[in-house]
Amino acid sequence: MSKNKTQTKIGAPTFWEQYRRKPLGMVGLAIVSLYVFVAIFAPYLTPYTPKEILLADRIAAPAWFRSILPKFADAPSSVRISLGSQEWTVSEAVGGGLAPAESDDSPLSVIQFEPFVRDEVVSEEEIDVLEVEEYPKEPEQGVVTLSYTLPYNYSAPKTFGLTFNYWIEAPSDSKTELEFVIETPEGKRYSLWGKSASGQLANQPARIDSRDLSLKQRLGMTIFDDPAPRIFSSRGDYSLLLIARTIPGEEPTRVYISDPEFYIPGTVHGLLGADHMGADLWTQLVYGTRISLSIGLSAAAISVAVGTAVGIISGYLGGVVDEFIMRIVDVLMAIPDLPILIILGALLGKSVWNIVLLISAFAWMGTARLVRSQTLSLRERVFVEAAKASGASDAYVMIIHILPNVLPLVFAGMVLRIPSAILTEAALSFLGLGDPRVATWGRMLHNARGFGAFTTLAWWWLVPPGLAITFLSLAFVFIGNTVNEILNPRYRERS
Amino acid sequence: MFTPEAKAELRRQFGLDDPPLVQYVKYIGSLAKFDLGLSFSTRRPVINELKERLPNTMVLFLSSFVLTTMIGISVGVYTASKRGTFADSFVTGAGLFAYAVPSFWIQLLLLMLFGYYIPILPIHGTMSAPPPDGFFLQLLDRIHHLILPAGSNVVIAFGSWALYTRNTMLEALGQDYIVTARAKGLHEKTVLRHHALRSVLPPIVTLIFSALPGMVAGAVITETIFSWHGVGKYLLDAVMQQDYPAAQGAFYLIALAVVTCNLAADVVYGIVDPRIRVGEGGAK
Repeated sequence: MSKNKTQTKIGAPTFWEQYRRKPLGMVGLAIVSLYVFVAIFAPYLTPYTPKEILLADRIAAPAWFRSILPKFADAPSSVRISLGSQEWTVSEAVGGGLAPAESDDSPLSVIQFEPFVRDEVVSEEEIDVLEVEEYPKEPEQGVVTLSYTLPYNYSAPKTFGLTFNYWIEAPSDSKTELEFVIETPEGKRYSLWGKSASGQLANQPARIDSRDLSLKQRLGMTIFDDPAPRIFSSRGDYSLLLIARTIPGEEPTRVYISDPEFYIPGTVHGLLGADHMGADLWTQLVYGTRISLSIGLSAAAISVAVGTAVGIISGYLGGVVDEFIMRIVDVLMAIPDLPILIILGALLGKSVWNIVLLISAFAWMGTARLVRSQTLSLRERVFVEAAKASGASDAYVMIIHILPNVLPLVFAGMVLRIPSAILTEAALSFLGLGDPRVATWGRMLHNARGFGAFTTLAWWWLVPPGLAITFLSLAFVFIGNTVNEILNPRYRERS
Repeated sequence: MFTPEAKAELRRQFGLDDPPLVQYVKYIGSLAKFDLGLSFSTRRPVINELKERLPNTMVLFLSSFVLTTMIGISVGVYTASKRGTFADSFVTGAGLFAYAVPSFWIQLLLLMLFGYYIPILPIHGTMSAPPPDGFFLQLLDRIHHLILPAGSNVVIAFGSWALYTRNTMLEALGQDYIVTARAKGLHEKTVLRHHALRSVLPPIVTLIFSALPGMVAGAVITETIFSWHGVGKYLLDAVMQQDYPAAQGAFYLIALAVVTCNLAADVVYGIVDPRIRVGEGGAK
C-alpha cells in the first residue's frame, strides 16, 4: 500500500524503476526471496521434520564429508531395516517353519512348530517319566532360523540396536528358546540376545542396544569395550539371525515377532549432519527460516507501527503530551535492552509470541523520535493549516495528512529494523530463552554450545545457523539502505 | 511442604508481611543503600556476590573497550589515506559485517578455533584453578584468559568504528584547510594526524561514549560464552535459576552502569565539542 502511494508521489521514474537499478538492493531482494521460498516450501526441501530424532548417531557429520575428508571416507550413514515377514529367509527349519504372511508387507512374522504327537497308548507311569524328560521317545527339538543378509561396506559404526516385540503361544508342556545372533562375513557368531520360556509368554518388547552393559557381559567384554566396532569390524555380508528352538508340546507352538527394526546410526548424515539427539540439522535450518523471518518481520512491523503512532501523536499534539511521551522514550532508551529482555523473557515464559512482543516493546523508541521530528515540521505546513481551517479533527489530520508523509521514512526504517529483531531473537534463543518447541537458528547454536559441538569439533553444526542469520540480516540492510537512498535521500546517514 | 510457622517465618524474613506500598518504599530505600537482599540459591547477600564479580567484568569491559576503539580508529585513519585499495574495501566490508553478523556466533567460532582446534587459549574462566604461584605468573595467567573474550569483542566491533572513522576522515580530507596544509608542504602523516584527525575526533569520541551502554549489555553474552566470572553471567544464571533477588541486583548494577555511561556521553560531548557548552550553532 505504501509503495503505491510513494509511486504516485515521486512521479516520473517509479519506485521500482529506481530500485532495480541498484545492484545491492537487488542482491538483497534476491536473498530475501530465497529465504521466503525456503520458509514456504520447507516441508518439500527436507524429508524429515524438526521433531524427528535418532535419525543418525549423535553429532553425525554431513554425508558429503565422505568425498572430501579422508577421515570420513567410508563412514556409515544410517542403516535402518524393518524386518517384516517378507524380509526374512528361512535358513534352517526342523519341525516347523515360517507361517505364510497375512499380507506382503506384514510387520508380523509367525514361526510355527508342529506339535509333538505321542504314542496312542501311554500309561500313567510313562507320562510321569516323560515329564522329567527321560522318556526314550523324547520329542525332537524343532529349530527355525530366520536370516537376513545385511551388506555392510563402511567403517565400523559406534553403536547399533535392534528392537522388536514378541510373544509365544504354546502349550504349557513345551519349552521355547529365542536367540538373536549376528554372523560376521568371516563366520564369527555373536549371540546378542536370548530368552527362554516354558509355555505361554505374553507380549513383551526386546531392546538390544550395543551400549548396554548386560550385552557387553553377555559377549564376555568389559564395560570399557565397545561391541559395535568389534562386531562390524570388517566389510561384507553380515547375517542377522533370529533363531527359535522349541521342545514341542501337544499343541502347536507359535512364536510371534512383530515390528523388528535393526538400526545402525550413521556417523554421517544428510546435508548438514545431525545434532546431539540425532535430529537432522538441515531440517532445523530450513524450518528455522520460518521462525526468523516471521519474528523479524512481525517484530519490526509492530515496533515501527507503535513508534509511528506515538511519534505522530507526540509531535502533532505537542505540549505536555509531547513532553511526557518523550521522557518515557528517554527512560526506555536508557534501559539496556538485552538484560531487560532476558529478565522479562524468563518471567513471561518462553514462547515465540512473547519474544515478538518483547522485542517490539523495546525497539519502537527510535522510530518514535524520528517520526516526531518529521511531524514537528509537517504540522507547520500549509496543507495542514488548510485542513484545520476547514474543520478537520486532530485525528483526521494525523491519519490523512501526516501519516502518508512520514510513511517513506517509516518504510525504510522498518526494513532496517528487521535485522536487529532477527539478531535479538537469535541472541535470546542462544541464551536459552527461546521457545523450546520450535527449531530456530539461535536454538541450534544454543544446542551446539551446550551439547558437545566443541568437544567433538563439530564446526558443521556451528557454522550454518550463523551464516543463515548473517546473510538474511545483510540482505535486509541492503534493501533498507537502497529504499532509504531512493525515498529519503536526506536521511541516508540516519539509522 | 512447610509448616505454618515456617511459612510465617519465611514471610517475615523476606518482609512479605508488610503492605505492598511499604514493601516498595523499603525496597527503594535498600536499593539506594545497595542492600540488594539475599540470593535465593546461595543465601548470601547479593551485593557481596556482585562485589566479587564486578572487578572481572570491569577488566573485560575496559580492555575490550580500549582495544576496540584504538584499533578501530587507527584502522579507520589508515584506510582513509588509502582510499580505493584492498584495505579500504576490507574495512567497508567489516563495518557492514559488524552490523549484520550475530556477535555471539563470531565468539563461538573463535572459541572453537583457538580453544579446541588449535588449543592455545583457555576455554573458560578468568584464571586457572589452582592459580599459579607468584604475582607475575598470576597476572600472565589472567591475561591469557582475557585474550579470547576481549579479542573476540575487538573482532566484532572494530569494523564499525573503523568504517565510521574512515567516513568522517574522508569528509574532513575534502576540506579547504587540508588543501592548505598540503600546499604548505606538510608531510602527509602530519596532515592526517594533526589536521584531519583532530577535527573528526569530537564526533567519534561522542559516538564511542554513546555506544558504551550497548557494550555493557553485550557483556551478558560474552561472559556467558567464555564462562567469565562476571556480573553479566551472574544475571543470566540468576534468571535461569529463578533467583529473583540476584537477578534484580545484577540488573540494577547493569542499569546503573548504563545510566552512568549515558551521563558520561553527555559530559564528554560537552568537553570535546565546546560549541555545545557555549550553546551557539557553529557553521559545521
